[in-house]
Amino acid sequence: MNAVEAVAGASAQVPSASLEAQNLGKKYGRKPILESVSFRLNPGEVYALAGPNGSGKTTLIRLLTGLAFPTSGKVLMLGQDLHNGGHAVRRYLGAVVEAPAAFYPHLTGRQNLEMQAFLSGLTQAEARIREVLAKLELLAVADQPTGAYSLGQRQRLGLAAAILPGPKVLILDEPTSGLDPLGINKVHEILAELAWNGTAVLLSTHHLREVSGYADRVGILGGGRLIDEVTMTTKGERYRLRVNEPERVAALLKTVPGIENVTLREVVIIFNGAPQTAIAEAVREGYQVLALERDYFDLYDYYRERVRNA
Amino acid sequence: MGRVILWEFGKLARLRSGRVGLLVALLLPFLWALAPTAGLNQIYGLILVSGWQVPALALLAGMNFLFPFLTAMTSAEVIGSEVAQGTLKSLVLRPFPRSGILLAKIVAVLAYPYLLLLASLLGSLLAGVIHGLGSFAGGTGLGAEGFAGVGLVAPTQALAEILRAYALAGLVLWPISVLALLFAVVFLSTTAAALAAVASILLMQLLGPFIPLRPFLLTTYLGLYSPSTYPQTAGFLGLASAQAVVPQGLVLLMIYTVGFAVLALLIFDRKDV
Repeated sequence: MNAVEAVAGASAQVPSASLEAQNLGKKYGRKPILESVSFRLNPGEVYALAGPNGSGKTTLIRLLTGLAFPTSGKVLMLGQDLHNGGHAVRRYLGAVVEAPAAFYPHLTGRQNLEMQAFLSGLTQAEARIREVLAKLELLAVADQPTGAYSLGQRQRLGLAAAILPGPKVLILDEPTSGLDPLGINKVHEILAELAWNGTAVLLSTHHLREVSGYADRVGILGGGRLIDEVTMTTKGERYRLRVNEPERVAALLKTVPGIENVTLREVVIIFNGAPQTAIAEAVREGYQVLALERDYFDLYDYYRERVRNA
Repeated sequence: MGRVILWEFGKLARLRSGRVGLLVALLLPFLWALAPTAGLNQIYGLILVSGWQVPALALLAGMNFLFPFLTAMTSAEVIGSEVAQGTLKSLVLRPFPRSGILLAKIVAVLAYPYLLLLASLLGSLLAGVIHGLGSFAGGTGLGAEGFAGVGLVAPTQALAEILRAYALAGLVLWPISVLALLFAVVFLSTTAAALAAVASILLMQLLGPFIPLRPFLLTTYLGLYSPSTYPQTAGFLGLASAQAVVPQGLVLLMIYTVGFAVLALLIFDRKDV
């Protein structure tokens, strides 16, 4: 059993995060780029990293993938310190750190993947390479030099290379950059599928509305700090209720089983749970229901507000 | 590891500076072989009497500046091109140890001076055909008596002298090659690394007047391939025998080569890429 298998085995007994940043800091000279960034990423979670240009997203990704070394703090991948003797744990890491992904232009897409498979210590690489090329719809160009690839094809080949070793942790910097709408959908499908199968996915993005459909959490970086973390688990389940006596109805709904997180936003009641139950209870108690609608959480608006106020 | 080294040679073969260097090394000897006799005589005090003298001319001219420069440039590009293409990141992201990646590159940059010299030798022998490659009276320029020689030189003897000199010249270029790679690891840039390596060599040359430093200067041994320079180097170093120049030089060249390589490995292991 090698060191990484031991780590993986240990993690099966004691549940641990797939990826954990502990007080990560990075300075170039005296200039701090990142300060005290901490978060955990569990198996199967999708974590989107958002922030304006220069907020430290790429630096954070370079630290999380082991390309750069932190000035303070540490990165634990499957429980192992990535920067101190933890290079073997990268067997479980898939990553694209710059967009578009870089390849040796004189080698074909397949040859580039063969090289990456060898460096990852993959056995039965040929079948796996075919599988990921097919998944990313690149079989037709697999035997062409990557120098002749379009931007979108290179980006898709980058994702193919990242998922090649069957990673437990997938880290992607702007994975949809340069892709057409179909390509973007394809990438989101693949990421959602990987997360469903237990891969922890971290991606940086500017396209918040795209990822809000399947991201579990969104970390907002500003000025080198993680200024907020938005949990998206309640997405699509929140409702806005307008009634004649909102304060009383809000108090009532707080006592109703299945209705949760009841808050009053001015005259509107926000809640999670079955809307039929909420309406039935309000009507049964003699209140007038004026309107009911889904409360869409607009991540983009929230992000704008959060960054502006940071 | 063998496969990674093989890939490095594949990449080396595609480096622009590497290709230009090999082409120049191959074609340069023709310049000397076809040079006007009067001009050659004026500069080197030499009238070519045999094709076996062309390799010495190519080596003398090349080792003066061109070969060290081309070696430094290509070695720097081994890392610099990967940085520019963005492929270094994809290598480092894999679970393969960083030391293994750099070790393969070190093997490649140590091989390059010999590829360069092989091209030069090949070009020299091809160009030498013009003057004939039979026995001749004189010297190859790479024996103890330089171009004057000590009498009749048979082709096998000439070839042996030339091969010895070219083998030593490769060893002389090794530390320069690894120094450029070390700077490339530090700066992650081809131009900066090549310039830093060349500047270091020039700086060492300028340190020549500091007598206590002489035995430790890389530049003291740049002429190690040419036995005719040994007496002068021995005097320069205060050695009793000219025979001691080669062993002392080789030890220092190896120390520099290994030292630069170890330093590069240590830095690369903790380097942000």
